[in-house]
Amino acid sequence: MSVDLADFLPAYLTEVEELLGSANTQLLALETAARQRSASPRTVRELFRALHTIKGLSAMIDVEPIVSIAHWMETALRHADQAGGRVPEASIEPMLEGLRAIEQRVRQLAAGKPVSGVPRGLLDRLESLDTAERGHSGPPASPVTLELEPAVASKLSASDREQLLAGVAAGRRALRLDYVPSADRAAQGLTINTVRERVSQLAELVKVIPVAGATPGGGNLTFALLLLTSAEDSALLEAVGGAPAKLRPIASVAPAVPTSPPPTGAELLSLEEEGLAVEPRRSGVLRVEVSRLDDALERLAALVVNRSKLARAVAVLTAAGAPTRDLVQVLQENARQLRDLRASILHLRMVRVGDVLERLPLLVRGLRRASGKQVRLELDVGDAELDKSVADRLLPALVHLVRNAVDHALERPEERRAAGKPEEGVLRLACHARSSGRLELKVSDDGQGVDAAAVAARAGVPVPASSEELLELMCRAGLSTRASVDTTSGRGMGMDIVKRIIVDQLGGELSLETTPGKGTTFCLRVPLTITIVEAFVFESSALRYAVPVSAVEEIIEVDTASLVHPPGRADGGTAMLERRGQAVPLVALERLLRRDAGRESPGPKAFVVRQRGMPLAIAVDRLLGQQEIVLRPLEDPLVQVPGVAGATDLGDGLPTLVLDLPALGAARGTPRGGVA
Amino acid sequence: MSTLHVVFKVAGAEYAIPASEVLQMESFTGATPVPGAPAHVAGLVQVRGRVVPVVDARARFGLPPVERTLDTRVVVGQLGSRTVGLVVDSAREVLKLAPDQLQAPPQLVAEQAQGFVKAVARVGSRLVMLIDFPRVIGEEKAHGD
Repeated sequence: MSVDLADFLPAYLTEVEELLGSANTQLLALETAARQRSASPRTVRELFRALHTIKGLSAMIDVEPIVSIAHWMETALRHADQAGGRVPEASIEPMLEGLRAIEQRVRQLAAGKPVSGVPRGLLDRLESLDTAERGHSGPPASPVTLELEPAVASKLSASDREQLLAGVAAGRRALRLDYVPSADRAAQGLTINTVRERVSQLAELVKVIPVAGATPGGGNLTFALLLLTSAEDSALLEAVGGAPAKLRPIASVAPAVPTSPPPTGAELLSLEEEGLAVEPRRSGVLRVEVSRLDDALERLAALVVNRSKLARAVAVLTAAGAPTRDLVQVLQENARQLRDLRASILHLRMVRVGDVLERLPLLVRGLRRASGKQVRLELDVGDAELDKSVADRLLPALVHLVRNAVDHALERPEERRAAGKPEEGVLRLACHARSSGRLELKVSDDGQGVDAAAVAARAGVPVPASSEELLELMCRAGLSTRASVDTTSGRGMGMDIVKRIIVDQLGGELSLETTPGKGTTFCLRVPLTITIVEAFVFESSALRYAVPVSAVEEIIEVDTASLVHPPGRADGGTAMLERRGQAVPLVALERLLRRDAGRESPGPKAFVVRQRGMPLAIAVDRLLGQQEIVLRPLEDPLVQVPGVAGATDLGDGLPTLVLDLPALGAARGTPRGGVA
Repeated sequence: MSTLHVVFKVAGAEYAIPASEVLQMESFTGATPVPGAPAHVAGLVQVRGRVVPVVDARARFGLPPVERTLDTRVVVGQLGSRTVGLVVDSAREVLKLAPDQLQAPPQLVAEQAQGFVKAVARVGSRLVMLIDFPRVIGEEKAHGD
């Protein structure tokens, strides 16, 4: 096993992580359903499938503890499924515990650590769910039967049936509503789409099945809408335009069967197989490692460099009087194509904000229990997307804000009641893409608002006059706004961390709106994409620069004594050094930057880069270190210069240039002062 | 309709720009030079986490450079999707200018000012030049690729 394990592990980890995310979401949905005592067979099945797949995958790499936990959770869910999709409220907590235990073990695997065994108590609790549920899965949906003509019945999936039966068991009526489309109706704006919409307002639409066959109006198509409802027949019929629409019940409650037959092996098997078949949950979705995308981007960068070489060669031809008009046109076309290609590659890195926030409901649930406050989380994120690297950085900031809102902003139920507010506080997270390439996220609560006077008092300054100043104060490192007497968490607000992420790391904006007694809204605007590169940071002539590690072949010490100076310009000009039997030109960075006035000799360190396939050494003064930097491209035409890839913030408040050394060498390192 | 204008000084002369085009004013603590950028570009500064190029008004107007002082300001302007700063000697005043205070610059002035001056405003006994911000900032590329 160990031979294949290493190859399989990265794929395993991504897949299991994704499944765990979805399992958490499903389980929370089940908790809500359990509290409302309603059935949700689909959710139970989804959760079952997620766990079943986790079990299968984990068995492949032989992680027994995960297999066991998943197995017992699966078993509990199988009974819930047979009970028409009902999970007793008491089962939720052990199952969440199970998911957490799986997560923990997955993290251990990811970190290359040995996987701990199953916590003994957990398995007991999960196993007891099994027996408990077997116990009161007594009178499930079995006395109810569906009556459907074979043409319709054959198109119903098992889960559709479950949903219908569960609905009936919950006291609603299962009906079949026939809608007959016609040209006249379409003219009145009544099509299957509008019908769907109108019916959905009155009923839960389980399935729409087209049935071929002559209709009263002379057509040959009927849509059978299978639905669960408590609405009046007349209202439903009206929604589909009246006759020739028909309505009939499709479920009847059979005289009580004394004992429900135990599930047969065959039934269990069918569920099992459904789980195994794990059809692509989102068809047409491909999982790709980020590093492969980066690889593609890097190749694209090589193309861009090549193009600029080509452009220079063409410029030389043009200057020499060659007919280059067509060539120039092709070049322009080529530039556009490269831009488009870059855009599509960047697009591949976008993830849905909704997926990023998948864990927040779980976080809020935990906070709700820990704080004893009642909180409802509302997510309104639509289908906005963000670059993966932005999303990864953004999440901790959002977690901070959500935690703060529950811990500090929202009041306890009794305080809220006294203030005339509903006991349940609302925490809302909404986001919208802005045209400027930025995403705006708002985290709002309807809590007590920020007490500006208290913040000022703690910071020992006058009360801020504007919300910007207030935010500034709150973002001072280590400042807590909680009066120490009632501090329970004992931690600061961590707003400095939020600001560091949003403003410094992501180059975004952070603002605040707060009204005492009414609530607080934090508004975050972040760029949709950022590029993060591993870079060397260095100094030359008292200025700091960064250069992507990927562009540097080697860093060498310059031994001034053994430099060979060619005839011609001796000072600051190009020298030669010997490297592995090859003569390598050495040029001072300042000379490439046209800032070599007053410079006597090249610096003691040099980056060796490749330029047109040949090595070139660029001398600098001092290497300061290696770190990840956020590359901000320079978009303004004033500062788009060859050799400068962008700027970054190293935390000193001044932008630091990120150099593209090969391009810089190519643009200016050419003999006789270059063609800048 | 009189509109608000931000007034700034460069080499003793007063200039104005509609306040609606000004994003904010920042004190100037130096810019990161960008090699190869046009001569009037002082470099890059960071404004609220954004990297913004700044244009040196003195260099742009063909005036000799001076030492930066505590009064030196960056007037950060918004030009459509571009955000660009202008380094000026000082900027302290906001004025309301009515259309009847404005007149076209005399032709000789307009020629010499390379179109940077859109109009001249009379404010009491002072003359304030309304600048054409987009033109002052310029779109010159560093490199004719």
